[in-house]
Amino acid sequence: MPIQIIAPAPFVDAGDGDDDDEGGVRLDVDNDGDVAMEGDAPSRKTSRHAGRIVTPGELVTDDPQWMRGHGTYLSTTADGSQSIVSSLAGTISKTNKLLSICALRFRYVPEIGDLVVGRILEVQTKRWRVDIAAPHSATLLLSSINLPGGILRKRTSTDELQIRTFFSEGDLLVAEVQTLNSDGQASLHTRSLKYGKLRNGVFLTVDAGMIRRMKSHVLTMPTSNGGGEVDIYLGVNGYIWIAKHTASLSDGAGDKGVSITRLEEEASEAIYSNVNEEISPETRAEISRIGCVIRALVKANIKIDEEMLNLGYEAALEEALQGYDWGSDTAAGKRIVDAALAKRRKT
Amino acid sequence: MEGLRNDGRRWNELRRIHCQLSTSGSSADGSAYVEQGFTKVLCTVTGPAEPGSRQRGRSDGATVVCEVYFAAFSGTDRIKRGRNDKKVQELQTAVQKTFASVILTHLLARSEIAISLHVLSQDGGTLAACINATTLALIDAGIPMADYVCACTAGQPAIGLGGGSGGGDDDEPDPYLDVNYLEESDIPSLTVATVGGGEKVAVVSMESRVRIERLEAMLAVGISGCARVREIMDKEVRRYGKEKLDGTGE
Amino acid sequence: MPKEPETSLAEKTFVLEALKQNLRVDGRELHAFRDVQLIFGDDYGFVDVRLGKTRVLARISAEVTKPRSDRPFEGLFTISTELGPMASPAFEVGRPSELDHTISRILERSIRRSHALDAESLCIVTAQRVWSIRADVHFLSHDGSLLDASCIAVITALAHFRLPVVTVSGEDITIHDVEERVPVPLSILHWPICVTFSFFGDDENGETMYLLDATAQEEALRAGDMTITVNKNGEICQIAKSGGVAVEAEILMRCARLAAEKVKVIDKMIGDALREDELRRNKGNLDWLKEGRAENDR
Repeated sequence: MPIQIIAPAPFVDAGDGDDDDEGGVRLDVDNDGDVAMEGDAPSRKTSRHAGRIVTPGELVTDDPQWMRGHGTYLSTTADGSQSIVSSLAGTISKTNKLLSICALRFRYVPEIGDLVVGRILEVQTKRWRVDIAAPHSATLLLSSINLPGGILRKRTSTDELQIRTFFSEGDLLVAEVQTLNSDGQASLHTRSLKYGKLRNGVFLTVDAGMIRRMKSHVLTMPTSNGGGEVDIYLGVNGYIWIAKHTASLSDGAGDKGVSITRLEEEASEAIYSNVNEEISPETRAEISRIGCVIRALVKANIKIDEEMLNLGYEAALEEALQGYDWGSDTAAGKRIVDAALAKRRKT
Repeated sequence: MEGLRNDGRRWNELRRIHCQLSTSGSSADGSAYVEQGFTKVLCTVTGPAEPGSRQRGRSDGATVVCEVYFAAFSGTDRIKRGRNDKKVQELQTAVQKTFASVILTHLLARSEIAISLHVLSQDGGTLAACINATTLALIDAGIPMADYVCACTAGQPAIGLGGGSGGGDDDEPDPYLDVNYLEESDIPSLTVATVGGGEKVAVVSMESRVRIERLEAMLAVGISGCARVREIMDKEVRRYGKEKLDGTGE
Repeated sequence: MPKEPETSLAEKTFVLEALKQNLRVDGRELHAFRDVQLIFGDDYGFVDVRLGKTRVLARISAEVTKPRSDRPFEGLFTISTELGPMASPAFEVGRPSELDHTISRILERSIRRSHALDAESLCIVTAQRVWSIRADVHFLSHDGSLLDASCIAVITALAHFRLPVVTVSGEDITIHDVEERVPVPLSILHWPICVTFSFFGDDENGETMYLLDATAQEEALRAGDMTITVNKNGEICQIAKSGGVAVEAEILMRCARLAAEKVKVIDKMIGDALREDELRRNKGNLDWLKEGRAENDR
């Protein structure tokens, strides 16, 4: 029996909203199909944001030439043919013949080599459990950190007893994803002088998808107003640490050619310290300004990378905003973002 | 008044649905707010995350847990519903079971998806609004699902509306779509939830006595309502997605 | 905590593949109930229901109490269920499982909210004295379909129960002893019977398979379930399908109609068993019985 359902009266008609892409809108294979079929053609690796949004249950394609990737599943229709259906709301991305859906918002999924900022959740006998905003907490083994007194030193039972002197609950650290197990649980390491305990700064979280993957996720930004240099650790997992720049020990090693052992001795003193250095009020002001820029960019759904951060910071300086909470204030934040975008278009 | 219900709708008219994604900012992985008439529900989803201390999580998939909170001011009388309230538990089980079978849990081994629902105002169709809000919050959290789960209610009035309402005979009045609180307490009604826009029914819940012959009509109306709800929710998801993508300037 | 052991993959495949060929492990038809055995105790209102290896006991008791202030004309009726380790080691005392909640909730919806028992008939003196009827359900053995069995048990026990006669004269209320005056049956308006369907994956034709009266093994393997409560007049008192596999609406309707058919059979079976028991008790004196049935036939 055919039943006609009257739609409810509209509430606020947000713009047009009347795009006619309801129902089984299919992927336009013809447009991209020829690109993909010329296998040797240097096709775009991934056509990010093919522009169209798919929602769960939407038919992506029933063409058997495509392979299904993340965010899709196979559905068998009554006549036995298989089609690729989306399981997420997001945009289609194509890598050669692989179709996957990139969700609008998602939890961080660790990958080997990612730089992450994490927080210690639990101290166990030979390891730490670290929150990295992923589906599973990561582990950091005692053997994967730099022990004071030299990389090559053997781990002893004394170290196990003193495990809390390195990291204890609530400590923040920057680390790299070393391995992943079958469940996708990450194991971290900090065996580089770039990584380790974080201090002298502020912590910030954003959605994992808002950090653009870059060559380097540790930025050092010169600031004005006498703020000196500021380090920004943009964890791929969406955790961000902004801190006063400390003369990196690894830099020192390259310049002065200090012997490894000497270096390690120095490292051992500083690396697990829980005491902040003295930070001038000017530096604090600049740290918080950068924090506001990041919040404003995220609010405007703009992915964070070095370029946008620099442009945003410049724009913020020009506006010379006072106070440290304008990042969440839409009006001021939006002005900064617009100014930054204008600058980017100019360059 | 001819042909109209007590709130001025026709038999096949939905109440105004207003929905919104990402209402709770970064405190949850996904969140949504749904208003169906005066029924208002807020949903937040956390996960996939490390399972709580109680269990270690299933090795073959994610566990779904659900908590429902009724605000004391949500009904006509101020009632504080505790955690062991039967109605609360019933809702929790219904939502939990529904989504455990729709979320593609096998992709998220040893993790937990926690759904938390806050019923802010009740005006009939609480279960339906809870299911709709959860669907949107899960989409916002980027949790893989087979399809939308959309819910709607349908009631069977004893006497027809008269007037020019289509289809129904005099002795078989048209079922009411999307009943409000008054209608819900007055006439037999059922809640139905479908997976996707089709006829795949995930949830049916009816608590009142009705002739078996009338069930079919009620189900049919409910299912058509679900399809309409899906369109409305889908539109909002697309609008939200567009807004989100526009910002990136790409 | 003892947990129900999981079914092995081989067992699972065996059962599911057999189902695809319309075979069940215990040799029943897909839509057949196991034999229902009703055993009545010496007292009225005591029934032992056996459904295959599932065994459920129901006991009705009555006492005189004050009515609720907002419902002065109505008697009280409560159903209490508790799954204990007696039925299966997987159930714990004092920690109600999800199944526990489901059973008590659906029994409540099926019997109490559908007004199977006429609550007003339990009134003795308005706003002062009413009967409080209590149904205690005990689960003795669990082999699936606990809900269906307990619903049959409660309904049968209610129909079997006899309430002592009460006479009111002025302020005095006299409850007559069973020996003194013949007790009367409860006023039951209709007999709602629960039928639980278990859904499995698609068969060859792409249709969802559904079973009736699943055993514990089948319950562990099913992809979804739905309980429909119907009475013999074809009125649906309650439907509960929360989650599980999504099923075509058409199949749901087919289930509902099948449930109505099955309920007619069960209803008749309960009626027969009650009559037989009455015959046995009264050694052939049928006048009594007619009185009882007339009420139930409404």
